[in-house]
Amino acid sequence: MPRHYELMVILDSELEERTVAPSLDQYLNVVRQGGGVVEKVDVWGRRRLSYEIAKSFEGIYAVIDLHTEPAVVAELDRQLVLNESVIRTKVIRLPEPKAPRPNRRAAA
Amino acid sequence: MTNRQRRPVKNPRKKPDILIERGITYVDYKDTALLRMFISDRGKIRSRRVTGLTPKQHREIARAIKNAREMALLPYSTRPR
Repeated sequence: MPRHYELMVILDSELEERTVAPSLDQYLNVVRQGGGVVEKVDVWGRRRLSYEIAKSFEGIYAVIDLHTEPAVVAELDRQLVLNESVIRTKVIRLPEPKAPRPNRRAAA
Repeated sequence: MTNRQRRPVKNPRKKPDILIERGITYVDYKDTALLRMFISDRGKIRSRRVTGLTPKQHREIARAIKNAREMALLPYSTRPR
């Protein structure tokens, strides 16, 4: 069952900011091939980190909104972490909007 | 002897419920402006005594703050001493 996820990535601030969106998009092909939908890619741009990560006090933030299967996000996250310019990632499963809770007993 | 007096409450005035006031049903860890209202200047999570949140709200806020810390949006405790 596809879920609604939000993925936040912190990228190395050495990167060129305008190359971020296209290169992220390449990774997102995993989602599209896996039958998911990429809803929104929001590149926040350079932002000061609250503390030092990997000898740097800055990072480029991007937030991606997507609907996909759990296994696909796991794979996407795995691939991102392998990239050296990805400093940190976080996957959050968002609450389904106004999802009518199906009665488990009735569904079974 | 048995009838112990409760500790006098200094300020029993009910604190305004910020979350309900703003109509927030899902506490987003990206909303650092909101989360900053619930941490001290040292970066520590404020107690429920101070914030007047319900237990459920407190857990949600705490979770969000911890997520935000992991992504360096908020500091872990600063100036250790």
